[in-house]
Amino acid sequence: MPLEYFITYKAENTYEEPVHEAYWQFLVIPEENESQQFIGIDFNSSINPKFEFSINGYGFKTIRVHMKQKFEQIAFEARFRLIKKEINPFDFTPEADKSKSIEKIQGLNFKVDYEAFLKTTPYTYIPYTKNILFEFDWGNSIFDNLIALNSYTYRYIQFNTKATDVHTTLNEVLDIHQGVCQDFTHLFCALARTNGIPARYVSGYLHQGNGYFGDLQMHAWAEAYIPYAGWIGFDPTNDILAATNHIKVAHGKDYSDCSPLKGVVYTSGKNQTVHSVQVNSQDQQ
Amino acid sequence: MVNLENQIFSSYKRNPVLFDEIFDKNGQVKDVYSKLFTLYGEHSIKDYVNLNEKAKSSFFNQGITFQVYDKKKTEEKIFPFDLFPRIIPPEEWNIIESGAIQRSRALNLFLWDIYHDKKIIRQGIVPMDLISSSANYLDQMNKVDPPGGIYNHISGTDIIKHTDGQYYVLEDNIRCPSGVSYVICNRTALKRALFGVFNHYKTYSVTNYAENLLDLLETVKPKGVDIPNVVVITPGMFNSAFYEHSYLAKTMGVELVEGRDLFVENDFVYMKTIQGPQKVDVIYRRIDDAFIDPLEFKPDSSLGVPGLFAAYKKGNVTLANAPGTGVADDKAVYTYMPEIIRYYLNEEPILNNVHTYHCSRPKELKYVLEHIETLVIKPVDEAGGYGISIGNRLSKKEIEVVKAQILLNPRKYVAQPIMSLSVHPTYIDKTESFEQRHVDLRTFTVLGKDKEFVLKGGLTRVALKRGNLIVNSSQGGGSKDTWVLKT
Repeated sequence: MPLEYFITYKAENTYEEPVHEAYWQFLVIPEENESQQFIGIDFNSSINPKFEFSINGYGFKTIRVHMKQKFEQIAFEARFRLIKKEINPFDFTPEADKSKSIEKIQGLNFKVDYEAFLKTTPYTYIPYTKNILFEFDWGNSIFDNLIALNSYTYRYIQFNTKATDVHTTLNEVLDIHQGVCQDFTHLFCALARTNGIPARYVSGYLHQGNGYFGDLQMHAWAEAYIPYAGWIGFDPTNDILAATNHIKVAHGKDYSDCSPLKGVVYTSGKNQTVHSVQVNSQDQQ
Repeated sequence: MVNLENQIFSSYKRNPVLFDEIFDKNGQVKDVYSKLFTLYGEHSIKDYVNLNEKAKSSFFNQGITFQVYDKKKTEEKIFPFDLFPRIIPPEEWNIIESGAIQRSRALNLFLWDIYHDKKIIRQGIVPMDLISSSANYLDQMNKVDPPGGIYNHISGTDIIKHTDGQYYVLEDNIRCPSGVSYVICNRTALKRALFGVFNHYKTYSVTNYAENLLDLLETVKPKGVDIPNVVVITPGMFNSAFYEHSYLAKTMGVELVEGRDLFVENDFVYMKTIQGPQKVDVIYRRIDDAFIDPLEFKPDSSLGVPGLFAAYKKGNVTLANAPGTGVADDKAVYTYMPEIIRYYLNEEPILNNVHTYHCSRPKELKYVLEHIETLVIKPVDEAGGYGISIGNRLSKKEIEVVKAQILLNPRKYVAQPIMSLSVHPTYIDKTESFEQRHVDLRTFTVLGKDKEFVLKGGLTRVALKRGNLIVNSSQGGGSKDTWVLKT
């Protein structure tokens, strides 16, 4: 049964010194795709500057705000309504012939097609010596290997919101074994890629109803490309597959392609941003 | 000793191993230089010293300076100018000009391909590494069609003449190549100092660069624009090439802007003016990719324009050169130029490439490590002559350091045989005489939609230290006026 979702994204920015001009770009609008049907958006701010929609470099819809008047504090609120079809993540044609899939991922054309999601990035870089952390068992299917990687990642990192921040690179996470969804997702992507499987970082919202980790913030998970099946979502923070509760916003190579809020603020002092997210659902009649 | 009859050359020491642009193997003045040689010989070295001083102060007074970056300090300098011009005969120029166009065209097709179907990689002609491990490859440019189909509107091709008398390309600079303003200033300075010499030669003018650049930039205007509004964007007055940015804007008759002078609204770019916002259609940007839009690239950049890339992607503004062009500036790409030219143009390269060893390939790495004293080692991603090691100038200890550096990251280095740049008589302050100095030539090619232009002249750069092979201004080089003769 499809679900109707009501999502509220809030960001409150406080500045030590007055700001004279600022730009913000929000990457928070749920993507329209096969399982997500977008119904409405409502965007407001405490000072009421104009906003406009645009498309970022990776083709995702953004909200952009240009503030030209003086202020010290500003709050934004975006509300979205969408209908999400029920997803059964196991609902794809299984790999009929394992060797055919493996042959495919080794081909040059495949590597060229998925080049962006096979290469390492500053966030997902792991030293050569640690590439062997998780090696695929090629006797099993790619899907089974990814399920195993999902569990491996889940066990490797202990969920802790205090241990890392948005700037933490995977290399640091490997030492402390602690982190949040962003770190879990970077590890999953890095290890899928070292095994030759294209993986992308996904940002979005998680419906918390069932007691998953997500911390009332935007959530992150991964999508891995399986030949003859397509992109399949894995949520290593919760050791599950991404399903109906996962509402996708954008994807990229790592966090830096998906950061929900980018700002250029002309001020001399420090600033603080507090984000919050609320996701409610209702069965569609 | 040669030419005792010519007093300014009375103490000129000619090293017969080097290729001298003026004197042939027997020490005779080449035909094309003979008139000039006589004319300059009419002056005493003292006249020459005076003229040289005057030319220098005129550069200072006009503010034609650049800055040298150092870890400790930055310094404002004039680009030392030499009063003895370099002459390129017509038959040699034809090779240079057609070769420079060929390379620029091929690189443009290469860029289109690697941001679209990537056929050259799929067919195994160049390795995927060229894009997947290049910091200058922009994923955001995938499937983007730049207006007019042009990526590298402006290219600076660095060419040398080897001891075999043949021209070789050392580098294709297609990020923000600079130096063209010096070409024009050198001509002006020489005319001011020694106007008479121009009466004896039919030399192509170089002052038409700006009008041709503007003309070609207008051919790549966004769709639906009638008469495009062109601007030059500069990182600001602290940039080493600021003089050039302001010079180009002034001579094209367009506005020179900084990032904060522009803003984006509904994916169109506007310039703030006292009459209100004015739409901008074509931006000749002298800011590197990473800094053009803090919302898309480096978030802490204050040089760029927030939202510019989205406007570009929508086709509402032209950026020259296009974002992501720098990937073809990578020295690793250079080494595949012969293959790239053959693949896209089905032609043989007109200008030679220097043979290159890739340290990323185990066999070639082994060769490089064993023959380091006969090679030049270059990092693939540095500009301005930084990080280059010349094998036969290294001590045993330094060789070990370089070897260790290469082994740490082989992909970062390529090696080439040590090319001997041709030499040209150059006035040297210290000895108050003419001495042989190594020279190269930077040519400037502009691509427009179905049109191209090569500046008939170029920047002859001189390595002012005796025996030095690195001519970059940031490494203490100077320059000469460069004459391309009409047939």
